[in-house]
Amino acid sequence: MRAPSDRAVVAPALSAVLAASLLGLFVLPLVALFAYVGWGGFLFAVGDAGFWTSIEFTLLASGIAVGLGLLTGVPLGYLLARYRFRGREVVESIVLVPVVIPHLVVGVALLLLFSPTSPVGAFAQSLGIPVINAIWGVVLVMLYVGASYVVLSSQLAFRAVDPETVDAARSLGATPGEAFATVTLVASARGIATGALLMWARGVSEIGAFLIVAYAILPSPPWFGPVTPPASVYIWNLYNSSAGLLPAASASCLLVLVALAIFLGVRLLDRSGLSTPRGGWLS
Amino acid sequence: MSGLSLRGVELARAGFHLGPIDLDVPPGTATVLLGPSGAGKTTLLRATAGFLAVRRGTIELDGRPLETEPPERRGFGFVPPSLGLFPHRTVERNVRFALEISGAPDAAARARRWIEHFALGSLARRYPSELSSGERQRVAMARALAAEPKALLWDEPLNALDVESREALLGVLTDVLEEERIPLLLVTHDPTTALALATRLVVLERGRIRFRGRPEELAAGRLDRFTARFLGYENLASREELAGCGDPARAADLLSRAGPGGLLLPPEAISWAPGAGSATVRSIRWTASGWSVTVQWGSLTVRAESGSPPGRLRAGDRVGLSIDLEKVKPLDASEGVGA
Repeated sequence: MRAPSDRAVVAPALSAVLAASLLGLFVLPLVALFAYVGWGGFLFAVGDAGFWTSIEFTLLASGIAVGLGLLTGVPLGYLLARYRFRGREVVESIVLVPVVIPHLVVGVALLLLFSPTSPVGAFAQSLGIPVINAIWGVVLVMLYVGASYVVLSSQLAFRAVDPETVDAARSLGATPGEAFATVTLVASARGIATGALLMWARGVSEIGAFLIVAYAILPSPPWFGPVTPPASVYIWNLYNSSAGLLPAASASCLLVLVALAIFLGVRLLDRSGLSTPRGGWLS
Repeated sequence: MSGLSLRGVELARAGFHLGPIDLDVPPGTATVLLGPSGAGKTTLLRATAGFLAVRRGTIELDGRPLETEPPERRGFGFVPPSLGLFPHRTVERNVRFALEISGAPDAAARARRWIEHFALGSLARRYPSELSSGERQRVAMARALAAEPKALLWDEPLNALDVESREALLGVLTDVLEEERIPLLLVTHDPTTALALATRLVVLERGRIRFRGRPEELAAGRLDRFTARFLGYENLASREELAGCGDPARAADLLSRAGPGGLLLPPEAISWAPGAGSATVRSIRWTASGWSVTVQWGSLTVRAESGSPPGRLRAGDRVGLSIDLEKVKPLDASEGVGA
């Protein structure tokens, strides 16, 4: 029979091996990508003004999408975490649909709903909000494919807040709004921020739905730049061009670095003590 | 009148009916609500704090009616069973919370006073997750008092504390009541805490008051079976069990002293003598207070205590029992005196 001390050594060692194999799967393709591109290819991509325009556009659209995702997803997460109501299970299932639905289907569905000939599309157009091949189409796609992460993360975060902390805050003089803002929201900030980061990452990496509703973005407020595709579509276009794989691989390297820089920046901000215990809001 | 006053308070939720409850908690005193789970203690406390609406009755604090006031305007220092410490705030910022919310200009200084009062100075920059149970209790107390409440409402305050911390906190609570001259309404299911702290004791069962009085009245007055069992008294013999005890001659004696709910036979009132007798030993155990011998005496099972070892006594041996009739107490069938 194995002694407990043996188990204490074997279990972490086995975990480390399994974890390392997954990390290897994450990292090795990127290593292959960077090795293929090389320094020359990398510099070529850095000098590609069209790529930077698509990055600038993607960051703007994803920023707006995450803002709207937080504005709508956090209240939904709160309702699901704190209230029991008829149809709650149905709502929870609907929240999961965008996670499993093929994103080409999302593109087709949004195209049908928002094409200028449809009632909804015509209405949006009349309000001066073009959707197809416009920034709002990209924002809608990002919201559709990513907001579920905000809802699910904030639902879990709100559920983890002890309701008695809210009671204590109320008896200490806080109105319901103050108790929510100073206790519930702050204590959940880490989970909500994690959801926002996942949503952002999901939106930036989207391509299928963009190919259908947002292949080339025409200037319309709040995007005042030149015509550009989102960054992922830009890379797709390079891949399909006659220039071969290298330009697409080079631009992909840059996109990976931009994403890594943003993740690292958020982590550093978190560590600097923006909020919550130990000065951080990301788990 | 000053202090906390409840008159005819009733509420119903999910098939449970509480009340009517009348209670007065004068300043500087502690009224302890005691009872088993589901008795309605926490429901009554939460209704008083404003988290549950009462169906009937009045709640007044220093003569001010509170039934329609939201929790934040009632003036209570409410401490829930989990203590409700804010995990994202340090000890100092927890204590300062009420002062920040009210916009008190000297929030830091006032919070400091309570932090020092509860000897939390060295822990001020720690988070609740970094504290022991006793330290967290002190933070909860400091935070509630920093808000300068007109009364304290406390739900299971000494949960999960070791004996030493419990004793220390009981002392602190007593001092606070004395110094601040505010009323305390406290909920517990633990008779030891209740008896140690209570100026007045209220025992609840299924939403109704079963006993109300000073702790010492428990010793002096008559008890009903429910209250006696809940307070941890042993050897509660019903009249039927007394009638069927192993010695018909003594059954009459015992029955003559019994109340409608039977008789309380304190273990220290019972002694045994080895040899031929009408009782059979069921078990022998060593406890912190001495030797404990459980015997079967006809239809009656009783536990007796002795400071001296039981010698060669074994389970199954026959023993003779003697009962000091001066120490037995009659039991009421339902409500006790003082209610």
